[in-house]
Amino acid sequence: MAKGSHLGDLVELVLLAVRRLGEVEADGASVRAVLSDRGDRRVSVSTVYVTLMRLEEKGYARSWKGEPNARRGGKARRLYAVTPEGMEILEHVRTVRERMWAPASEVARG
Amino acid sequence: MAERGPPRAALALLRRRVPEEVAEAIEGDLTEAYRAAREAGRPTWLADGRFWLEVLLVRAGALRRAARRLEAIRPTSERNRPDRAARRDPGFPSLLPMHLHDLRYAVRRLLNAPGFTAVAVLSLALGIGANTAMFSIVNAVLIRDLPVEDRHELVEVYSSSSDGFQYATSSHPDYLDLRNENDVFENVVASRTTIARIDIDDRPRVVFGELISWDYFQTLGIEMALGRSFVREEDESPGTHPVVILGHRMWTQDFGADPEVLGRSVSLNGRLFTVVGVAPEAYTGSMPILVTGFFTPLMMTDVLMGGEQLERRRSRSMFLKARLLPGVTVEQANASLSAFSATLETRYPESNENRTMSAVASGKVSLHPSVDRILTPVAGLLLAVVGLVLLVACANLASFLLAHAEDRRKEIAVRLALGAGRRRLVSQLLVETTLLALAGGATGLVLAQWTVELMMALRPPLPVPVDVEISLDRTVLLFTATVSALAGLAFGLIPALQATNPDVAPTLKNEAAGSAGPRRLTLRNGLVVAQIALSFVLLIGAGLFTRSLQKAQAIDPGFDTGPGALAWPMPELSGYETPEEVEALYDDLERRLLDHPSVTHVALADRIPLGSGVQTGGYLLPGVPSQTPDGDHDIDNANVDVGYFDAMGVEITSGRAFTRDDLDTERVVVVSEAFVDRYYPGQNLVGRTIQSAGSGDDLRIVGVAADTKVRTLGEAPRPYVYQLQGQNSFFGMQVVVKGRTTSEELVSITRTTLEDVDPELVLFEEVKTMNEHLALLLFPPRMAALLLTVFGGLALLLAGIGVYGVVSYAVSKRTRELGIRMSLGASAADIVRMAVGGGMRLVIVGALVGIALAGAVTWVASDYLFGISSTDVVTFATIPLLLTLVALVAAWVPARRASRVDPVRALRME
Repeated sequence: MAKGSHLGDLVELVLLAVRRLGEVEADGASVRAVLSDRGDRRVSVSTVYVTLMRLEEKGYARSWKGEPNARRGGKARRLYAVTPEGMEILEHVRTVRERMWAPASEVARG
Repeated sequence: MAERGPPRAALALLRRRVPEEVAEAIEGDLTEAYRAAREAGRPTWLADGRFWLEVLLVRAGALRRAARRLEAIRPTSERNRPDRAARRDPGFPSLLPMHLHDLRYAVRRLLNAPGFTAVAVLSLALGIGANTAMFSIVNAVLIRDLPVEDRHELVEVYSSSSDGFQYATSSHPDYLDLRNENDVFENVVASRTTIARIDIDDRPRVVFGELISWDYFQTLGIEMALGRSFVREEDESPGTHPVVILGHRMWTQDFGADPEVLGRSVSLNGRLFTVVGVAPEAYTGSMPILVTGFFTPLMMTDVLMGGEQLERRRSRSMFLKARLLPGVTVEQANASLSAFSATLETRYPESNENRTMSAVASGKVSLHPSVDRILTPVAGLLLAVVGLVLLVACANLASFLLAHAEDRRKEIAVRLALGAGRRRLVSQLLVETTLLALAGGATGLVLAQWTVELMMALRPPLPVPVDVEISLDRTVLLFTATVSALAGLAFGLIPALQATNPDVAPTLKNEAAGSAGPRRLTLRNGLVVAQIALSFVLLIGAGLFTRSLQKAQAIDPGFDTGPGALAWPMPELSGYETPEEVEALYDDLERRLLDHPSVTHVALADRIPLGSGVQTGGYLLPGVPSQTPDGDHDIDNANVDVGYFDAMGVEITSGRAFTRDDLDTERVVVVSEAFVDRYYPGQNLVGRTIQSAGSGDDLRIVGVAADTKVRTLGEAPRPYVYQLQGQNSFFGMQVVVKGRTTSEELVSITRTTLEDVDPELVLFEEVKTMNEHLALLLFPPRMAALLLTVFGGLALLLAGIGVYGVVSYAVSKRTRELGIRMSLGASAADIVRMAVGGGMRLVIVGALVGIALAGAVTWVASDYLFGISSTDVVTFATIPLLLTLVALVAAWVPARRASRVDPVRALRME
């Protein structure tokens, strides 16, 4: 890939979590839950939000305000989704990983 | 009750300077988690604490650090470009001035010295826990924060009784007159307590309730949680409006907090009442600790309790409260009240002669002025005791911090030499102390919870069916944690400041190593002396009360305390209406009990000596003048049946006991020996008569009975009149069952027999053993002995640890010196003797101070001791022995270790 980009471990996991949750579900709390359930990573509220903010700034994710909710003290959720650029870099990272895992002979042949 | 949200202060903190785009989402997430925790039944403090933690984490720069980490992993191609995001750095500023580095360092240090940390935390926890628990209990009993409006305007109004007691209750007619004819009160309200049988889901039980004037809640400013309080017409005519307000506890426990409860019917003493409201959770009734189950209008008194109590000026059982008119003082109210009582006296001389009314500010009354007088010193004593424990704990912490700081002189000198700032070093020591205080506080909270639960399990065996509630007091927890943290800080800071003196060279040259003898650590030694002295005082107290308890248990009450069971049926609440029905019930019960082979005696009495109540009657004694206007004597009495003296093992010393034949003739009584000694010393009273002041009946004395203890174990013999039950009413009769088996067996026999006779029969309380009956009286000394032993033991433990610490520290500092001594020929025993001797000097000084202190302090307790003086020789001889023994062991352990040191290695030691 021309951009020569890679992602940090946590950033990648957060982005994967957003992708996994889909458009309706991905907010800070659920991303955090997925990270701890599937990703084996316990992170603080602030870490999740900082990461999501950075992802958004880089254009890998986009966000919008959800409906306010009485259970949350009348506060709205912020929902996130992966952008096409985000999907692209996830795929890229995956390809790099697989290349690294592949047996030496295959690389030589390729 | 409105659902409580997360702590507001934390929310406010969270909102400050958190990036706008995520602020709302974060707040929502945390709020949602908070709600979930509350719904899962977590206690408020836990959910609050969790919320605070999360907020602090967000604020304490965690977001910023996370952002920085992100910088590092940004795609390399972007890394050197001027970054929009970096310029707009949200910059979550760190909230705490401390450096995370310091925190990490402190944690590591504390974990590296687990012994030190454990002792310090435990010391603090014990002090904090004991104090929080005790303050919470005292708070619940004495300093209740009632949810009442403008409490300073409220007064309690009392009437004096015929025997001159100033704080007695008032009659309903007097109350109505006062309410209508005074010019100092905005309003006067009345209440009285009662117990009633309530049937919920066909389960009858007896609950505690209050009858109140209709505007009671309005006048106090208490809002109902549900429904309404009473209205005027519900309290205007006797018996016409059976409406009830449920206590909050009863509503949640017996009605499942059903919001549809309004309008439902509840059966009280067999009569249906309509629920119109539910009292708020914060108001549990007019009595502390006791939780009121229901409230009904005063006008339901006669329906609920029988008799014609509302009409009679002689029937006095109303507690009155009044709200002062604006600008009126309590003194003015009192002046007005005495004028008013004089008016009543002229209007109703036969009932109101010599009765005066008086007012006391509500803020000054906890339970009742007469009870407060007894409880306040007891509470003060308890608080003083836990305060001493806290002092000992603080001394321990301080002493350990001192040792710790001494140990670190060298480390600190090195860091100073390398250019570390003093402020930085001090702040780091402070972080350590704060961590200790936090850990101690958390552990203390758990201990406090346990203590309160333990105390609740030990609650007085009161003969009232009560709900009791004590909750931990957060203010106190905070206070004690702060006090101990401050003590820790102060003592941690002094050596820290000393240690950071810029005089680096000698310390680095290791000059302190050999010279730090016990005499140099005077502050620390002083603390050990203080600890010993304080634990000494507590242990003396524990010893005194334990001995007093033994004495009390050995006192002969004058009646048979062997195997026996007591039952208290309430036929009047169980559908028995005529005296004949009630009599038949008792006959049946007695017959069936006696059918049982192991039951030897069954007797009835409306009062068992040494119970909770006091019962007296007015008697006219020919030839004996009295101070009261009516000329009668107020004498303790009881109504008993024919079998009573046999069953209770009370000896008749002259004349005879009651017989069945007495039931059909003139009224007869048996009096106690103390009665004879007090009123007719040396005379033979058998065959003579006295008069009942109430009915005017002649009462012929047929016998004299040996004295029994009546009200308390410590009392001098008290005049007592036994009236023959059956010539009187059956009201409030208790059943005494004695037999040739264990008390437990008798209880179960009695229980099944009651069940056979009438499964619907309501009991005032569970059938109990004779010992359980006596337990009420022994409760205060037992409680005092238990508490003082526990707290004294704690203090002893802490002091022992303190002695151990001092000796162990002194020895470790003198390793080199001891090595030299040993190489010069000192034996291991010499070394042990020397090291132990150093520690024991402190113990002796502490013990001497302790004896002086204890001598000065324990006289306070003398009112509560049975059969021993507050300078009891046995106690004052035993406790020093115990203390010395513990101190010897505490000093011996490190001393012995020192004697095993290899001299060669000790000498080589740097």
